Amino acid sequence: MEKSFIRELFHAQQIDISNREQLFEAFVQEEENLHRVKQILKNQQFLMDTWQLKSRLADIQQQTVVIPNATVGKVYEARLDFQQLNWTDFAAFSITGLEAVGLQFDSTTSVISGTPTQNGDWRLKFSYRLQGEPEETALHEKLVALIVNPDPRSLWKNISSDNTAPFWREDNASASAVLGDKRLVVASRRGRSHANTGGFRDDDFAFRYFPDTGWTVLAVSDGAGSAPLAREGARMACAHIVEYFEQHFTNAALAPFDAVLAEHAANPSETTEKQLTRFVYEQLGKAAFTTHKKIAEFAHNQQVPVKDFHATLIFALLKKYPCGYVIMSFGVGDCPIGLLNKDLSAITLMNRLDVGAFGGGTRFITMPEIFKSDTFATRFGFKLVPDFSYLMLMTDGIYDPKFEVEANLEKVSAWKALLADLGGENKENAIVELDTYPPAVAQQLSGWMDFWSPGNHDDRTLMIIS
Amino acid sequence: MRRLPVYFLLDTSGSMFGEPIQALNNALSGMVNTLRMDAQALDSLWLSIITFDRDVKELMPLTELVSFQLPEITCPQSGPTHTGSGLEFLHARVSADVRKGTPTQKGDWRPLLFIFTDGKPSDLQLYRSMIPKIKELNFAAIVGCAAGKAADNEMLRELADTVVHLDTADSATLKQFFKWVSDTIEQGNKSMGTTSQVVLPPPPQEVNLII
Repeated sequence: MEKSFIRELFHAQQIDISNREQLFEAFVQEEENLHRVKQILKNQQFLMDTWQLKSRLADIQQQTVVIPNATVGKVYEARLDFQQLNWTDFAAFSITGLEAVGLQFDSTTSVISGTPTQNGDWRLKFSYRLQGEPEETALHEKLVALIVNPDPRSLWKNISSDNTAPFWREDNASASAVLGDKRLVVASRRGRSHANTGGFRDDDFAFRYFPDTGWTVLAVSDGAGSAPLAREGARMACAHIVEYFEQHFTNAALAPFDAVLAEHAANPSETTEKQLTRFVYEQLGKAAFTTHKKIAEFAHNQQVPVKDFHATLIFALLKKYPCGYVIMSFGVGDCPIGLLNKDLSAITLMNRLDVGAFGGGTRFITMPEIFKSDTFATRFGFKLVPDFSYLMLMTDGIYDPKFEVEANLEKVSAWKALLADLGGENKENAIVELDTYPPAVAQQLSGWMDFWSPGNHDDRTLMIIS
Repeated sequence: MRRLPVYFLLDTSGSMFGEPIQALNNALSGMVNTLRMDAQALDSLWLSIITFDRDVKELMPLTELVSFQLPEITCPQSGPTHTGSGLEFLHARVSADVRKGTPTQKGDWRPLLFIFTDGKPSDLQLYRSMIPKIKELNFAAIVGCAAGKAADNEMLRELADTVVHLDTADSATLKQFFKWVSDTIEQGNKSMGTTSQVVLPPPPQEVNLII
């Protein structure tokens, strides 16, 4: 070893030893020379080792270490995979900075866990020593980012809307009423997204029971979030519908309808069905168009574009006849009307939803084109049923969190789940006593409606007839 | 849950090297931190970052804000600005990522696009041919930002509904701009008609709206 080292050294330095072989042999045997070579080799090894260590440390410093983001109040667990990080040469390892966030590190399982208490863009200090380094060596340090999101619930503010603003509506409204032998409860709540900015409730509702005729009119509207005066659009839409039927659904005007219905109940035929359908189309179509015109007229008088009042509209008419309950409906927009039969075994959707390919894409009563469209005739519904358990009108603020997608509206199981939810099967333990209808039932519904559903913070309106 | 997909298409060509790219990193980081404190954004916002210079890179695929970690944006010292290739890549991503509403799937909110450049497209033909295809994607807003003297406002106008011009790409200006971007994003998840555009908040002083 030593001999070949010296030979290579001399060769590299072009020192010719070819004719001094004997002398060279003696030279490499000398104790002191041997010692010198050993020293050199040792120093070389030391330089190489040190370089390797420095280079390894530099690698570790540059290495991107990604720890998944955490969220305040949400159980967190992230394992540091030493194999995958290529940190199998670590001899000691600890993390500082976790305590401040509300987390801890378990060195036996390499797991960071806990429930974060503080949000922010934190820098954790990873302290480590590599194998082969003396134990007394100070630990190396690497800073690693940990993002802790705030608890989304803590971010929502509840700012009252400005009650001096034009067309102000109270943030929450609710009511209950008796409609002949059926009962009604309704609540409308301003969504968190509006409460967060001091915005207005853009949902609205109206209903009226006419004792003279036995008819009830029910209306629910959802003002477009992007329309600055949507709250007034929604209010007008509901109010004009009620007003229209107050004027036009008189006993005299309805006599021909009553006659056809009686005939239809006794002896249903294609003719009677056509006559009933035409009646619905004409009467409800006129009501919708009158409402549209009145809002457009109002917008014109106020000198604001009608689109500032954009609002969806669903409405239904209900009356008990000897042959059963008649329910007629009209809808524009993405709010469903559902009719559950007596034994909760079937659901009838009274209207077709205008749901676009993208969220928020829908149609409004304020759009003139809906009355010219080929699909206008598909906006009406007519049902004659012996009885029913529930008739519900809702805005997308309820439909989105409780049914999620359109297909679920057709599933009776989804409606049963909603009824169970109303009956108290929910995290908040909120109960709406639909069976007994206590005086506070409207308050109960309003309270239930404050449920938490991530991503669903729109205004909510639900009207239940049972 | 409805997602609000937001795409950033960022110019990382040679001219951005040095202070501008540093300023861009800082401004983006500030914007993400601001958004993280917004209740609505934290619930629904998804972000994607795509850069273009000679090459197009998907620096961050569409990721929900809750899990989002801003990558360091770097740029070469010189080279062309392949804006057209960037748009081509974006088109493929948006077509694949953005969910449309069906009876069994919740549709996303209409996506937003922010395109940031300090020059003009080197691949002009591809750029122009991509514009109609990008418009077909039905973005709720396409906002173009031209930064610095060499940035071509007119070229950006062909693509974007709104073009803003920043005189310089320094830290303070970019910070103001991205503050405005986060305000715009907060406007994004509101219900509206099927084709109407998002109403943008008024831009700050440093940002010149090109009309």
